[in-house]
Amino acid sequence: MHEREMTESSCASGTCGCGGAEPVAEPGTSRRDFLKVIGVAGAGVAATAACGPPDAGDKLISYLVTPENTTPGVNTTYATLLTGAGPEPLGLHAWVRDGRPIKLEGNPSFPTNRGKLTALAQSALQDLYDPDRVQQPLRRAGDGFQPVSWEEAIANAGGAVGGAGVVLLTPPVTGSRAQLYTEWAAALRAEHVQYEPFNYVVQRRANEITFGVRDIPAYDVDGADFILSFGAEFLETWLAPTDLSRRYAAARAFETGRQAEFVFVGPRLSLTGTNADDWIPARAGTETLVALAIARAVAERRGVAPRLTALLAPYSPDAVADQVGVPAERIQALAEKVAGARAPIALPPGVAGQGQAATDAHVAVALLNWVAGAVGQTVRFGAGARRAESASFTEMERLISAMRSGGVSTLIVAGVNPVYSLPAASGFADALGQVTTVISLGSHMDETTQAAGWVLPANHELESWSDAEIGAGARGLGQPLISPLFDTRQAEDILMQVAVAASPGTDFGAPDFASYLQNRWRELHRAGDRVLGFESWWVERMKAGGIYDRSPAPTTPVSLAAGAFAYDFPTPGQDGGGSLSLVAYPTLQFYDGRGANRPWMQEMPDPVVKAVWNSWVELHPDAATARGLAHGDIVEVRSESGSIRAPVFVYRGIREDCVGMPLGQGHTAYGRFAAGRGVNPLEILPARTDATSGALAFGGAAVELTATGERGQLVNTQGSDSDHDRHIATMIGVDLARAELREHHADPDQAVDAAFDSDPNSPYRWGMTIDLNLCTGCGACTAACAAENNIPWVGEKRVQQGREMSWISVARYYKETADGGFRTLHAPMLCQHCGDAPCEPVCPVYATYHNPEGLNAQVYNRCVGTRYCANNCPYKVRRFNWYTYPMGEDGEDRTFGEWPYPLNLQLNPDVTVRSKGVMEKCTFCVQRISRAKFLAKDQGRQVGDGEVVSACMQTCPTEAIVFGNLKDPASRVSQLARGARGYHALDELSTRPAVTYLKGVTHAELENGSHGGGHEGEESHDSENAESHA
Amino acid sequence: MATPETDARLAAEEAPHLTLLDANEDISRPISAPAWRFWFLLGVVGTIILWAGVAWVVQIRDGLGVTGINNPVFWGVYIATFVFWVGIAHSGTLISAILYLFRSGWRTTINRAAEAMTIFAVMTAGLFPLIHLGRVWYFYWLVPYPSQRMIWPNFKSPLVWDLFAIGTYFTISLIFWYTGLIPDLAVLRDKMTGWKSKLYGVFALGWTGSVKEWRHYRRAYLYMAGIATPLVLSVHSVVSWDFAMGIVPGWHSTIFAPYFVAGAIFSGVALVITIMIPLRWAFGLHEYITEYHFENMAKLLLLTSLIVGYSYAVEYFIAWYSADPIEMASFRWRAVGAYTLPFWIMVFCNCVVPVTLWFKKVRTSLPALMVVTILVNIGMWYERFVIIVTSLAHEFVPASWGNYTPTWVELSILAGSFAWFFFWFLLFSKTLPTISIAEVKEHLAHEHHD
Repeated sequence: MHEREMTESSCASGTCGCGGAEPVAEPGTSRRDFLKVIGVAGAGVAATAACGPPDAGDKLISYLVTPENTTPGVNTTYATLLTGAGPEPLGLHAWVRDGRPIKLEGNPSFPTNRGKLTALAQSALQDLYDPDRVQQPLRRAGDGFQPVSWEEAIANAGGAVGGAGVVLLTPPVTGSRAQLYTEWAAALRAEHVQYEPFNYVVQRRANEITFGVRDIPAYDVDGADFILSFGAEFLETWLAPTDLSRRYAAARAFETGRQAEFVFVGPRLSLTGTNADDWIPARAGTETLVALAIARAVAERRGVAPRLTALLAPYSPDAVADQVGVPAERIQALAEKVAGARAPIALPPGVAGQGQAATDAHVAVALLNWVAGAVGQTVRFGAGARRAESASFTEMERLISAMRSGGVSTLIVAGVNPVYSLPAASGFADALGQVTTVISLGSHMDETTQAAGWVLPANHELESWSDAEIGAGARGLGQPLISPLFDTRQAEDILMQVAVAASPGTDFGAPDFASYLQNRWRELHRAGDRVLGFESWWVERMKAGGIYDRSPAPTTPVSLAAGAFAYDFPTPGQDGGGSLSLVAYPTLQFYDGRGANRPWMQEMPDPVVKAVWNSWVELHPDAATARGLAHGDIVEVRSESGSIRAPVFVYRGIREDCVGMPLGQGHTAYGRFAAGRGVNPLEILPARTDATSGALAFGGAAVELTATGERGQLVNTQGSDSDHDRHIATMIGVDLARAELREHHADPDQAVDAAFDSDPNSPYRWGMTIDLNLCTGCGACTAACAAENNIPWVGEKRVQQGREMSWISVARYYKETADGGFRTLHAPMLCQHCGDAPCEPVCPVYATYHNPEGLNAQVYNRCVGTRYCANNCPYKVRRFNWYTYPMGEDGEDRTFGEWPYPLNLQLNPDVTVRSKGVMEKCTFCVQRISRAKFLAKDQGRQVGDGEVVSACMQTCPTEAIVFGNLKDPASRVSQLARGARGYHALDELSTRPAVTYLKGVTHAELENGSHGGGHEGEESHDSENAESHA
Repeated sequence: MATPETDARLAAEEAPHLTLLDANEDISRPISAPAWRFWFLLGVVGTIILWAGVAWVVQIRDGLGVTGINNPVFWGVYIATFVFWVGIAHSGTLISAILYLFRSGWRTTINRAAEAMTIFAVMTAGLFPLIHLGRVWYFYWLVPYPSQRMIWPNFKSPLVWDLFAIGTYFTISLIFWYTGLIPDLAVLRDKMTGWKSKLYGVFALGWTGSVKEWRHYRRAYLYMAGIATPLVLSVHSVVSWDFAMGIVPGWHSTIFAPYFVAGAIFSGVALVITIMIPLRWAFGLHEYITEYHFENMAKLLLLTSLIVGYSYAVEYFIAWYSADPIEMASFRWRAVGAYTLPFWIMVFCNCVVPVTLWFKKVRTSLPALMVVTILVNIGMWYERFVIIVTSLAHEFVPASWGNYTPTWVELSILAGSFAWFFFWFLLFSKTLPTISIAEVKEHLAHEHHD
């Protein structure tokens, strides 16, 4: 495996537009180095360490003249911004090694993510280094494209935007980009349309109706003691998953006396729903009725305006129960709990629950928040994140009809993929054919770019300057991490150049977007306290990654608007069921489809279904039995707009009258990993809207299901759905947990015990705690680990053979409850670094051994591949290199170990790239431990608590993972490990793991866990799974 | 079993009209220019070996991914086949050494072939630890040799114990076999002419048949038998510890050593019978290997079958008695899980089929014995497969459960292992006396004296 190394810097001229990239002081930098960095930065001559050309062949030549800010072999950290990884802007600390970004970490000062990242954000590097990016400007030639020069492309585009009927289609953005788009559209008399498929127009409309404010409030989940989600996927894709995950964790911080009860209402248990204490499986579209019934009960208890009482009167639990499909007693019991809660919060439906009456549900939830007293307390208007408004589906339909009627002569598409992400029934793809000139500023050859006449490829976000408003007084700033890998330009620069080409007099007050953005920040500087001069302030802002105002965001007081009292809710009726309805839901790994060409995301098991590289059709076990269907049977799902085929996944967390399908797969273009994989439910989604808001109805479409008689494969990494009470993933009731906490006395001998497992002379015994009460199953750890440790993808077929390589994998176990239902527990499993490790004595060549710091080390060089260690590992966390991976996009090419260029540039030089025949596994990020130890040694001290942060811990949005030194009794990890909830997986084997799990806590009443062998039905299910695995 | 009376009866029944010269002639007759049948068989096994070699080359080139093993079933056909061949290797020494020490005269006509089987089976078995390595080109790291790197193998690892156990067994078996061959090699030296005579002469070590030589020879043979005897018990005990020392439910059990030794003798005896029947027919040795021999072998088969069946029962009993839910789940799944068929093939072939050996009619019917012993060998291969695969497939962490199906590479190498074994056996049968001439003559001499 050649790791290509940069040999020279060609970017010093600053033509790449990143002449001023600024590193953050590296935590591991000495004070002198730090001052050096400051000095260089202050002089304003910072060259471009972060902007080298990525590849200059296979030769390893050291720098003749080392660029500034670069020490070969040492990471430089840059603060930047990522807005394209889900619904919230994320602050990054990117690790750049020798000119190449190799790892993204969260920026701890950034208000939304506070140092944490989602799996999708972790994988942004694979988007940057995507081998399928558009590499130079192209123009259409027949069915394909031919390269053109930038001059020609810009000149042509300039000609095309000169006339009338010009439309610029971008994602909704804030900050300088938004301002530029507006100015651009004004200068060219063009229309600017902002579009994103998963948008918040329903919520804005509903709040406008209910409170007269067209805004999205801040949801302070952390302040709640009762969380009621009406289908809001707030831990995965809804609104601000990283921020809300952190708040959710705060609300469930059990040891502080908090354990907010969480109830999920909706037809399908999303990943978020699987974390809930209870599930009210309301029929699709009846969330409104449930919310109103609860609001009614709460109103009765608290007393509200008579007009409101009258509005809510018809919605008694008895009246709605039939239509909701849930017994009235359960709704009544839930209503009483909400009424009795101190600070309840209700979250409105997300994408999956967005049906044809979506506004009803949102208004009902807003009313519930009002009557429960949450508005102004935990639901705060005016305090939410600033986000630009997306066009609704109705507005997009208007654009489509304008396109179809010839009203649009030139369409410039920048950063969105409407051909894929709008329902096929909307006719966007056809209408595109009626547009004279379609110019794509896409960086990937996605479905929309493929339909364009001209492709003017834009830089990736990590190669670009950007900024974003992130809330009151806070603004993120993004700087390029690397000069463009290919012959691409920043999208905004292209737009500016096109405008100048169209009318040479156009002036944006700056020659390029970098200066344009800096000008905007000059204005911010002028508006600020101006303690520093602009240059120094600008450098400081770049190092910080933005401006953060720490004062709490003000809350705008709101009151019920007249529209709320007059709102025409559906009257509760009889059972409206009968047909199957489709639940098309977003996944956190693909989001709106943008994650599909990243192998880390394709191979990361879906957090609920645990399937990889595919799409599936979720069916309730009874529904599957009734139709004679089992796992992996191919079914045809037909709606009025078409039909698609996918394998069945039998899922307990979906209603019998629903069919669940994930969004984001089924690309026809977009790249080698995405194209032709799975199916896209948008192909059969009827172009229906919620009439009140104009939003697309993702949920509730009537579908028919036909068995095709074929068997496909749905590759699933989960062996059994139950842990068979083996004390691997343990969950206890909240009362028991509280009793245990009261009676618990921390074991003072813990440090002594830890000493037993490492060299007595070593001050360290590295260890970890994983809090199952906080783990939401999001898989960010898996993605971060892959990025940090050069873990290759192996492809669908290889995963089916049981050869996935992930060092940390999140198992999903069902726990039976006393009422016949189930709860889900997500349990990350990784090498437990046992004190008395079964893998160590069986290795005939000492390739695995116990190091003095208690790590269970693996020496790749020495391994001969007997695999005895893996057999003897009770946790099954060892991974064998059956081949030299990766092997092409689907894992079936005989191109062993070739990382398609430029994906190889992401590889972490601190970690060996493994080859066939050797065993590997989690190392506790030993390279990070070494780094911290070197620094500590230089400074003549020991490594302190918090200095070594493993990649999984660093990214975990709920801080469920804590790493540190078990021999230090004051360290966070030792304190947590000594807590009442701590236990070791498979403790009876006396392996003395370094990983301590903290028991999950639930408000649900669990079945008495005495059975040893699982359940009747489950056993057959296991063997079916096993079959598909074999 | 054997008494002086039976020995006498043997001599009387077996060779009423045989003379010492007959024995020389009959037994060494096959060692002549090979017929087309021989070349044909050699061609068949040679082709299979070549094919298996191709499979191995593919595996070395691409990686172990070409096999079906995976996470969690990290061992599969290769290790099952390794244990199978080590087991086969047991009968030879058992028959030669232990029965020799017990003065069971009926062993005389089968011990040579059985010992040869032992050696070839060890040679076959020994290939598998290499074949199954992820990086076979570093196999010598398992061998303890002084090097400037100062790295020794891990003597705590049962895999290193294996190396010693099998190495020792192979060495002792080879010497024992060779010791027994010396007088016969001298017979061949005298019969042959030209370079063949010279070659046999070199290996005959100048044997003249003097009384002094015979006395030393008998002593040496006795001592070798004494040294070889404990190995019968130790080798397969050590191999069984590969599993018993593991933590895997279904492996981690104290009965493994005796259980594996009994199973090894069981399968070894079965294969001796399977091979002797066609050998006897092909070389016309009806007068030397008689029903009496086969019946005794069948009795041994029956005895070991009962031990093996008892072991299976004890495994289940211990799983139940331990009250360990994980152990219990593992054994339950072994019988009713994804590998139900292999499990019941194992039980049927190893416990049910040998029950027929209670009947003398079956014990003395060669076609019946042929069927029984082939089934036993199939059953014993499946036993190893079941122990290895079902235990690993259904281990501690339920989320990691998964199954295993072998691929063409593994099946080719499995077939190749049989071809490899028979290749050596064919060569042996054409170059060396398949029955100990010296011992047969000893019996005949006793008869004449009587």
